[in-house]
Amino acid sequence: MEIYLDYQSAKPVDPRVIEEMMPYFTDKFGNPASLHNVGDHATEVLNHSRKQIKDFLNASEDSKIVFTSGATESNNLALIGTARRYKNKGNHIIISEIEHISIRNLAKYLEREGFKVSKVPVDQFGVTKLDKLKNLITENTILISISTASNEIGSIQPYEEISRIAKENNIIFHTDAVASESALSINVEETPFDLITLSSNDIYGPKGVGALYLRKGLRLNPVLIGGGQEFGMRSGSHNLHGIVGFEKAAEIMEREMNSENKRLSEYRDLLIKEIIETIPKSYLNGHPTKRLAHNAHFRFDYIEGESLILDLKENNIAAATGSACSSKTLEPSHTLISCGLLHEEAHGSLLFTLGRFTQKEEINKVIEILPGIVKRLRLLSPLTPPEILKKYNEVKN
Amino acid sequence: MKSTQYTEKVMDHFRNPRNVGVIENPDGYGKVGNPVCGDLMEMFINVGEDEQGVEFIEDIKFRTFGCGSAVATSSMITEMAIGLSLDEAYKITRNDVADELEGLPPIKMHCSNLAADALKAAIDNYRKGTEPEVEVQASCKPIDIKIILGLDEFLGKGVYEKLPDLEELRDKRTLIVDSNEKALEFAIELTNYTNRVILATNRDEIPGSEEMRKKLKFSDVKILRQSELIEILGTDSVEKVLIHDLDEDENYELFVDSVIILN
Repeated sequence: MEIYLDYQSAKPVDPRVIEEMMPYFTDKFGNPASLHNVGDHATEVLNHSRKQIKDFLNASEDSKIVFTSGATESNNLALIGTARRYKNKGNHIIISEIEHISIRNLAKYLEREGFKVSKVPVDQFGVTKLDKLKNLITENTILISISTASNEIGSIQPYEEISRIAKENNIIFHTDAVASESALSINVEETPFDLITLSSNDIYGPKGVGALYLRKGLRLNPVLIGGGQEFGMRSGSHNLHGIVGFEKAAEIMEREMNSENKRLSEYRDLLIKEIIETIPKSYLNGHPTKRLAHNAHFRFDYIEGESLILDLKENNIAAATGSACSSKTLEPSHTLISCGLLHEEAHGSLLFTLGRFTQKEEINKVIEILPGIVKRLRLLSPLTPPEILKKYNEVKN
Repeated sequence: MKSTQYTEKVMDHFRNPRNVGVIENPDGYGKVGNPVCGDLMEMFINVGEDEQGVEFIEDIKFRTFGCGSAVATSSMITEMAIGLSLDEAYKITRNDVADELEGLPPIKMHCSNLAADALKAAIDNYRKGTEPEVEVQASCKPIDIKIILGLDEFLGKGVYEKLPDLEELRDKRTLIVDSNEKALEFAIELTNYTNRVILATNRDEIPGSEEMRKKLKFSDVKILRQSELIEILGTDSVEKVLIHDLDEDENYELFVDSVIILN
């Protein structure tokens, strides 16, 4: 059996969600734009789904949920739509240094359109530096886009403070909430977000569906042009079965988030404690306490991450790494480098992300197997110092 | 191809690397790579002499920090080199190691295939007493060093390393690898002799000087941007090539009769 600990890459769809979706492939297949009964029913369903996603965020009636094809599209609409709509107000956008690649590439794209982009640095734990953020704001700043948490090292960002800073300066605040969607309960009544990116798959719904939350009164220029669906901000016939799945996933998540967080953070803490204790020269990346319940990100001296992944794969364990050798660009993870890690340190990183179907036995299995893998690779490595080799040779294991 | 999609032979050498370790007071010692780039290899050799007085590799050991292919190529080359004469061992190329492993993912050809360099450094260290540590710049930059499988095999059988007579390529589907202005000029000229002239460049724009770019743009040369030639295939002569699309990170085949790669 495969031990899957890479939930940040992709999540399985919850069977309860699939059950809910099934009728919408066959009997309830309507297009909300149609005037007949089949279409009317689809409209009802769509409105119900919208309401459920708003409840998930504790959002008011008069806010908007725009359904999209996923987080990347929501980010596109948020950044491009805001930039183009408010370009007469200013041309400056702020993101953090550790944003997901979809945000970083959008920022790059907008730079080519003439916008100026600043990146707020993070501290050694990967937390946005608020004083630096304040310093970067100018009268031309129209948008701040900083995620709720790092998808990679799991550090939770001070989004409440960021939202206050944005509001004080009359700047639109967008957050990509995908990384924390299964772990942090967002309440827009308490925290004045303007735009929030959500993804269905990240709460165990189907892939290919997402949403962008817009605070009351906010309008954006569309990125997809067509029949004018979704308040004219996102054209294209509705992916109704996907939206219904997203709704069900949100409903389950709302109900189960607290108990799941408790369970997963217990597993996570066990994993972190055991690994750091049993493996010499091993370290935790990201914040020691302010981190997502499902995220355990390690670093091991003297060895390289892709080799770790391959050895884990041999043992049917799925994990991820920020090593350059596993990436298309041969660059190590920008997040780890932004936290101040040296390149050679970033190469030895290993990420486990836990999820709804993770069992305690699986965590125990990793705790049992990983020290041997690290040892094997260290015995191969010319970087391993003699005192560590000696330690390994003394202990028969 | 994903970086972790290795052949069974690569995985075998990764799982059970041969000749791991250190030779105390070796005859030759080589070290290449850089931990900053994610790869570092050490190679130790002891040299023996046979009845004819020919020096050969009597013992070889390695240690490697790096990804799966870095470990596998190190292990592979120790198996290939042991027992070979120093001259033969010195001739082992990165290409040979990759071939012996039944191929490496294209992205790994450049960065984690330093074992041949480490062995050469060890032999040089033994013969000439040169510094064992060799900085291989290419380690961090995948674009700099090219390994093209089948290049040697088809040399003179459709592969040209010097610009041939235009007439020789009449009606031949020809792939030209971007190198210098002369090659670009040749590509344009060649369109008068054959209607299928393809230019592959790893850049994401048309290559050449400003003037050349303009000429190429309006010529009949088909330009493949962000593309790298990785393998030449055929039975007796060139029949097709494998191109790696850097943007999509995908490989595809292209039918051609000749390939021009200037040194």
